[in-house]
Amino acid sequence: MRAYILRRLAQSVLVIWAVTTIMFFMFRVMPADPTAILLERGLSDEARNALLEQWGLTGSLWDQYVAYLGNLLVGDFGSSFLYRKPVWEVLTPLIINTLWIAVPGLLLGAALGAAIGTAVGWARRGGKLERTGIFLATVIRGVPNFVIGIALLTVFSSTLGWFPGFGMGDPGQNVGFARYFTLDFLHHLALPLIAVIIYFMPENLLLMRSGVVENRTEDYIELVRAKGVSQGRVAWHAARNSMLPLITWLFPALAETIAGIVVIEIVFSWPGVGRELVLAVTRQDYPVAQAAFFLLAVMIVLANLAADLVYGKLDPRVVYK
Amino acid sequence: MTSTSLATPENRTASPATMQALATLNDRLAAKPAAHLRVEKLSIAYSTARGPFHAVDDVSFEVKPGTNLGLVGESGCGKSTVIKALIGLQPEGTKVSGQALLDGQEILGLSERALQDVRWTKISLITQSAMNSLDPVYCIGDQICEAIQAHESVSRATAWARAEEMFALVGLPASRLHDFPHQFSGGMRQRTVIAMALALNAGMLLADEPTTALDPIMQSQIMSRIRGIHEHMRRSMILVTHDIAVVAETCENTVVMYAGKVAEKGPTTDVLARPLHPYTMGLQNAFPRLPVKGQPRQALISIPGIVPNLLRPPPGCRFAGRCPFATERCHIEAPAVTAVGAQSAACHYIDRAPEFREAAARPETWRKLGAGA
Ligand SMILES: Nc1ncnc2c1ncn2[C@@H]1O[C@H](COP(=O)(O)OP(=O)(O)O)[C@@H](O)[C@H]1O
Ligand code: SF4
Ligand SMILES: [Mg+2]
Repeated sequence: MRAYILRRLAQSVLVIWAVTTIMFFMFRVMPADPTAILLERGLSDEARNALLEQWGLTGSLWDQYVAYLGNLLVGDFGSSFLYRKPVWEVLTPLIINTLWIAVPGLLLGAALGAAIGTAVGWARRGGKLERTGIFLATVIRGVPNFVIGIALLTVFSSTLGWFPGFGMGDPGQNVGFARYFTLDFLHHLALPLIAVIIYFMPENLLLMRSGVVENRTEDYIELVRAKGVSQGRVAWHAARNSMLPLITWLFPALAETIAGIVVIEIVFSWPGVGRELVLAVTRQDYPVAQAAFFLLAVMIVLANLAADLVYGKLDPRVVYK
Repeated sequence: MTSTSLATPENRTASPATMQALATLNDRLAAKPAAHLRVEKLSIAYSTARGPFHAVDDVSFEVKPGTNLGLVGESGCGKSTVIKALIGLQPEGTKVSGQALLDGQEILGLSERALQDVRWTKISLITQSAMNSLDPVYCIGDQICEAIQAHESVSRATAWARAEEMFALVGLPASRLHDFPHQFSGGMRQRTVIAMALALNAGMLLADEPTTALDPIMQSQIMSRIRGIHEHMRRSMILVTHDIAVVAETCENTVVMYAGKVAEKGPTTDVLARPLHPYTMGLQNAFPRLPVKGQPRQALISIPGIVPNLLRPPPGCRFAGRCPFATERCHIEAPAVTAVGAQSAACHYIDRAPEFREAAARPETWRKLGAGA
């Protein structure tokens, strides 16, 4: 088990290194000048060269690469070209903002999807619940998630006016850490969070349903029924076994899901790391973009590792070698 | 009758309080009487895309308390269908009619909620395919405890201690209760399923081909284990098998089913020594019999042909297409059930049974038919 985890970690490091390297060279070969933004604000040539030097954009590509990796190893992502601040300082609050919609959104999406999927899978075949459940889930899954976001905005913000449609807090509210504990923040959080849930739920629901449908006719379910336990308990056995395929899908799917969250952040102007990533690329703020991609790669790799380990916890038949 | 006294699992880990609770539970369970089951005119039709499929038609039999009833017949004759209906496990949409009185209580057509109270407390099941009958993600002990705790308000420790005793009863070490199904061999899983069926000392045990999936050595081991337990606990039991030799060794009474109907039934000794129905005679030929001293070993003769399609059951005797003694009448008119003492059979020519028996023992009687068909 320990050997397995160590080997997987080593593989993960390799993957992250590869992603980092690719990102690094991609940004360097793009024919664009990151100082362009600043030039517009009237930057002298001298100042420009000094900046390039400071940003580590002088010297051969190889030298730049080695310097970049060396800095990464000590957790130094460099400074943002635009904000003129260390990347960490720029990203940390944005990461926290993203986690606010991503973590509860994905957890609730998965949990609700699994619960409803179990109910739909356990319902009478061809009955109303089954048909409605599958229909709704399939439709929502087919809708691009910016449409979900815009629909939510149109209905609950523009038309009904129940929720604010923009950003994370009204002006003049608390800033810093204290803001997370205000009603105003929760008010702003609601719509993007709901968007993440709606976006993530259908796939979970459909996977869980097909698992339960498959499992409910298995012999072991018949014996559980024969034992005279409650119906809920019987359904639980089917659900518990259906979680296995769900888990294998769930964690790797996070990669794709993160892309979806980027879109939701943009639609709701949620100041998260995904939105910043897109902005950073268009602004050629390489250090920020590279750091964001690096963090994404780390998250995805860790999610895959977590999937393996959780699967092993849930399925006694799995042996780690 | 202390049904569990022979169980003495090694490595007992339970506390004195648990042992006390276990003793109370054991006494309560041991006090359960063996059940009496009376099945009357049981008919079962599956709903299929091509209309109702009459898998079981007008089946009646009785299981007296503490006795063992053998239910035999080829594959597809409706044995499992009967068993499943008795514990309410028929698929949705299946039409079940007739009566099944378990200690006087009608158990057909109960609601799922009402079934919960009957299942495992009064009637339990040893399934046909123990290989797939256990939930792969729970340890064995948990699955046995689940059955106990669904019906008895005892602590998990007490339920586990009871499970240890059941494991001892079927000859498995208590420590293996922590294992998962995939760590067990087929034989061990079958024992597990038996242990589970005994956990609440239900008055009625339904055993649906409990050994079919196993190799022959394991089969006879498990069968003698079942016989031992039956003798010891004196539960009522229906044992489904297609092996007539197993019935001979295990069951007081026998019901022979053919194509969803009872062909013949009665005390096992009578049915096997003097079968009245040609199908019973044919079945006997198809299984190896223990060699009888002074008689030549008999060759195995299988019955040519297959069980008729019950979407459109044949009008006359259902065995007519394969019966070496069938006449014109057999193809037109369904035979009534005729009793001879405690024994009865559905054949037009019961009075000619001695003559049939002689002919049926000769391989060419059946071969001729096979060639003709
Ligand atoms: N769920 C079902 N739907 C339709 N037909 C079924 C179903 N289950 C069993 N049958 C049919 O009913 C007949 C009796 O089956 P079964 O009771 O399993 O026989 P046995 O246990 O004697 O081998 C078979 O012809 C089988 O194909
Ligand atoms: S009724 Fe006719 S066909 Fe049926 S078993 Fe008797 S002899 Fe054979
Ligand atoms: Mg069967």
